Amino acid sequence: MKTRIFRGSFAVVTALFSAMLLWAVLSLVFMPRWEEVVQSALSEEMLYSIRLSLLTSLISVAIVMVLAVCIGYVLARFAFPGHQVLRTLVDLPMAFPELVLGLCLLLLFGHGILSQWLKGFGINIVFSQAAIVIAQVFTAAPYAIRVSYATFRGINPRYELVARSLGYCEFSAFWHVTLPLAKGGLFAAMVISFARCMGCFGTVLILAGGTRMFTETLPITLYLNISYGNLAMAMTSGIILIAISLGAILVFELLNREVML
Amino acid sequence: MKPLLRGEDITIRLSDFHLDHVSLEVEEGDYCCILGETGAGKSVLLESFIGMYPRMKGRIFLKDREITHLPPEKRELGIVYQDYMLFPHLDVYNNIAFGLRKKNLSKEKIKERVHAMSERLGISHLLDRDVQTLSGGEKQRTAISRALVTQPQVLLMDEAFSALDATTREKMRSFIRDLVKELGTTVVHVTHDVDDVWALASKVVVMFDGKVLQSGSPREVFSRPLPGQVANFLGACNVFPATVGAFQEGELTPLLIGKGETALFSADKACPGESVIVSVRPESITLAPHRLNISARNQVPGQIVKTERRGPMVWIHAKTGMGNMKAVLTESALEAMELAPGNEAFFIFKASCLKILSRKDTTRQLIQ
Repeated sequence: MKTRIFRGSFAVVTALFSAMLLWAVLSLVFMPRWEEVVQSALSEEMLYSIRLSLLTSLISVAIVMVLAVCIGYVLARFAFPGHQVLRTLVDLPMAFPELVLGLCLLLLFGHGILSQWLKGFGINIVFSQAAIVIAQVFTAAPYAIRVSYATFRGINPRYELVARSLGYCEFSAFWHVTLPLAKGGLFAAMVISFARCMGCFGTVLILAGGTRMFTETLPITLYLNISYGNLAMAMTSGIILIAISLGAILVFELLNREVML
Repeated sequence: MKPLLRGEDITIRLSDFHLDHVSLEVEEGDYCCILGETGAGKSVLLESFIGMYPRMKGRIFLKDREITHLPPEKRELGIVYQDYMLFPHLDVYNNIAFGLRKKNLSKEKIKERVHAMSERLGISHLLDRDVQTLSGGEKQRTAISRALVTQPQVLLMDEAFSALDATTREKMRSFIRDLVKELGTTVVHVTHDVDDVWALASKVVVMFDGKVLQSGSPREVFSRPLPGQVANFLGACNVFPATVGAFQEGELTPLLIGKGETALFSADKACPGESVIVSVRPESITLAPHRLNISARNQVPGQIVKTERRGPMVWIHAKTGMGNMKAVLTESALEAMELAPGNEAFFIFKASCLKILSRKDTTRQLIQ
């Protein structure tokens, strides 16, 4: 009897939450009129927004993956004073609200030594399209680093030692053994990063500003059009974001079996 | 002969373990087994040779060249692990060819050497296979091929047979024995399995708690294990304190066991009046239902307490005037003699089988 109550209560909670989640997602898909969605999707603003979101996200993912591989490997393999501090530090942005992270980046790139130094080269990051990439990188990197760290930690360091005993230097052993063994985990990190970059809103809004047809990524389009009361455009950008996220998960699932060892 | 591989005063401090001033010499062509319990520091010592612990203290030499501070790729040592460490993203061919690709060899030469080595190890039919589909024995042969194909000066093996089933392990022992003899390979093999030592070793080093306690040929170490941890680990039983009796030059050494009721003879030398520890290995003992008129000088009467089957052998536990004794016989021998618990029996062994292990000062440690 107790077992049935235990199992039943857990099943009810699971079913209720899943139903609410599905209902919320389906509301976005079924509420708008489809001719309005098509019209909004083909509008100049939306096409600009999709192009900018994809371009900045792809650049950001490339940067994030370089960071994730380097930092994940350092954390997984090297013992040094301050190891735990570094781990906490790179995890920190995950705990921050995006708006706070954006504010921190605004202070870093908008005021102080770094911004002055960059301005010396004629580079102004704040409220530029480059700021979108920076915002996305800082938002997505902690997730990718965490996955990459776990992946490298899961690979027995003796593989590298064997490779080195066979004549490979430290970098060659990493390149020819560790990296291929990590490709499943790194691919997962890439997909997660892409989804985070595409959906990055608060950090982009603060650092890059929400300028229409300039720093307008899909989440910004959603926000701006909600502000103007243009519900059709807002819902369309929401649907496109969901479609891209689902697409990313689908690609991950499809390729995962081949990629994972 | 100069040692091929020499470790001097190797000290490694890890968070929960340290290797304590370990020195070791392995000569060219040796098959050196490092024997000890789990946690004795055998694998740490082995990995210190390959360069796993760059912050270790002490020195390592390969021939006359100091390799202590060289990176692993410059040490000319090969390693084979218990869990094989085959690269799962490469097939058997590419695992074996992996090291050759760093030797500036042509593709044809690499192919030729991989085929020759795989042929020698009996895995040439597996070259296209994914390593994850191989059996334990096939994986181990692939790992050994990968290590040997680059012709290392010394092959290091870390519990290389521990993951194999008993039959495969036995086959691998015999195979490795022939292979290293044929190739003239020097091997350092870490193991906790005494059978590996008997089957393969020309030299054995016994380690406990990060220290080397005893080394020598297997015959020396097994017949005269150091009392205490080494003797216990090597399964020394039938160990008794004794006093050396008076004897003439050229005679066997008489030994008085207990309060002097039992007199035994050993071929080992000792001084009259000296207190010693003696031992006879169970497999050196013959049992008989009555005293025999043969050349064996030691015939100890006792009563069988229990018999215990272990595989094809039967262990006999008995009470004698000296204390508890154990002997090991085949099942058929036991049946032929019609010996069973409760029966009287004589434990018969030659003077050359009764070994003097140590002097009085270690008696307490041994008895414990």
